[in-house]
Amino acid sequence: MGIKGLNRLIADNAPTAIRAAEIKSFFGRKVAIHASMCLYQFLIAVRQQDGQQLTNEDGQTTSHLMGMFYRTLRMVDNGIKPCYVFDGKPPLMKGGELEKRTAKREHASKQIEELKEAGTLEEVGKFERRLVRVTKEQNDEAKHLLSLMGIPYVEAPCEAEAQCAALAKAGKVFAAASEDMDTLCFETPYLLRNLTFSEARKLPINEIKYETVAEELGMDRAMFVDLCILLGCDYCETIRGVGPVTALKLIKEHGSLEAIVEAIESNPKSKYVVPEDWPYKQARELFLNPEVKDASEIELKWSEPNEEKLIEYMVQRNGFSEERIKAGIEKLKKGLKGGVQGRLDGFFSVIPKTKEQLEAAKKKRSDSSAASKNKKAKSAAKKRK
Amino acid sequence: MLEGKFDEASLLKKIIDAIKDCVQLCNFNCTEKGITLQAVDDSRVLLVSLLIGEEAFTDYRCDRNITLGVDLSSFSKMIKCGNNEDFLTLIAEDSPDTVLVVFEDKNRERISEYSLKLMDIDNEFLKIDDMDYDSVITMPAGEFAKIVRDLKNLSESLGILVTKDTVKFLSEGDIGSGSVVVKPFTDLEKPENSVKVSLKKPVNLTFGLKYLSDIIKATNLAESVTIKIADKVPALFEYKLPSGYLRFYLAPKFDEEE
Repeated sequence: MGIKGLNRLIADNAPTAIRAAEIKSFFGRKVAIHASMCLYQFLIAVRQQDGQQLTNEDGQTTSHLMGMFYRTLRMVDNGIKPCYVFDGKPPLMKGGELEKRTAKREHASKQIEELKEAGTLEEVGKFERRLVRVTKEQNDEAKHLLSLMGIPYVEAPCEAEAQCAALAKAGKVFAAASEDMDTLCFETPYLLRNLTFSEARKLPINEIKYETVAEELGMDRAMFVDLCILLGCDYCETIRGVGPVTALKLIKEHGSLEAIVEAIESNPKSKYVVPEDWPYKQARELFLNPEVKDASEIELKWSEPNEEKLIEYMVQRNGFSEERIKAGIEKLKKGLKGGVQGRLDGFFSVIPKTKEQLEAAKKKRSDSSAASKNKKAKSAAKKRK
Repeated sequence: MLEGKFDEASLLKKIIDAIKDCVQLCNFNCTEKGITLQAVDDSRVLLVSLLIGEEAFTDYRCDRNITLGVDLSSFSKMIKCGNNEDFLTLIAEDSPDTVLVVFEDKNRERISEYSLKLMDIDNEFLKIDDMDYDSVITMPAGEFAKIVRDLKNLSESLGILVTKDTVKFLSEGDIGSGSVVVKPFTDLEKPENSVKVSLKKPVNLTFGLKYLSDIIKATNLAESVTIKIADKVPALFEYKLPSGYLRFYLAPKFDEEE
């Protein structure tokens, strides 16, 4: 799932690339959302008070429909135009990662069996959540719901994150929304995190700008992807013992994975060991040239919700409250109406900062980070006493 | 060193009140000519541009350019502590950590001092070119505020339609629609009540009432407001200060092309 420690690394080394904003400020923006992961989130998070998933009269799970309907509504209500992207077949290289996940699931299911004998309900619930996976039927139900709501969706040929990024790069949408940091490796201009979370959690939305990340880290795309592979991605293992700090240092020093591998192998004293037959080149290829549909050929169209069928599907079939679904439909209709608010961007040019200003800012930042390091050192020293 | 003394605290109070709801963290740039501020709201729709000229102060000196990074909601709490008629003096060192706000009561011997911690605010500075506007309207600020408030009850958007010699404000909503027509008019005794319309090209634009209601918070600052609009570019709403101005640039709404 994503890139290990990349979020922290960006927050520490390229803080200006991350902007926390309220959902309101994204009105009028089109956003491509990684649907498969949302569904997974909903299945885990949308629960009844006793920790069980929501179900309809026939006992089929409806948590994902509930989540899809209301979270989409929240976005539409705030003027965002969402479009969902579903995962296609996983790339071959993800096999290892997927195997691991399956093993984890088996492990969890065994533990549940044990706990059912002795453990509390809470503990059982905790492990049950680890068992959750999105079935094909649930995916299809979500697609059906979206089409009734008039929200467009795209089926990616392979990884949905890559498709989201491709849509954003082509200007079809403003940003890709995903919790997976590897979306950045696919060079989405903007990545939004926390967009599909519940309103009740009151989390601000984090907007990460790829361009600033690359600039602040002083890297081009290839270097950035290499860094991510070194941090740990879904496609292959990493060099044991290399954490975020070392990874950044190594990439900056050597410039590419090839050079790093060579440096480690030519230095017998090196404490790092490169995995045998490390397939980093293939992983890099997956990031640099992912299998996606040509974004310029994808038409995204937001249309009126199909009121009658939505009520039939959500209320009669799946037992949601008619009143609430109707109120939701009204919101969907309202969201479509009315002109789009323009932005000032593009009308005024940004005055580039003078060299002195840039240097002053840099100096300040390093001062403050030095100060915090000092503090850390001091507190560490205190502890030692 | 910056030292700027206002004859009445009310001017600065009104300015801060007018902008604190749309922008929160701002840099005040102090130069020998006065104090300027530029800030864009979070959604990047509304730009605030302020100039308090040196003549707005009774005493003003600023030998070196100084930037004061201020959280307006905190600043506004502080400047509310003084009476409207008090002298208000802003004092800051050359590379300051704080700005000092001093109130002096004119009738009694009372001096109150507040010091506000400053912040490092990293914001980009936009270059605003003079634009060619299709239409320029000058009207009493209060009248414009009333139109915005009234029509806000009906809808989220306000249409401004300028044709030869008339300005029509209109809004359409679920409960119905409303419009106000304003025509040029000259009041010789009270020139501030006059309405002036100059027109190069007819204009038909729509603006978000949410933003307009932020703009009319500046109504107390000036007798009249000048609205400059042109097709597809941000409109300019200007309130003149005794020396300087408070300007709002607002991006219009448009129908989606699809």
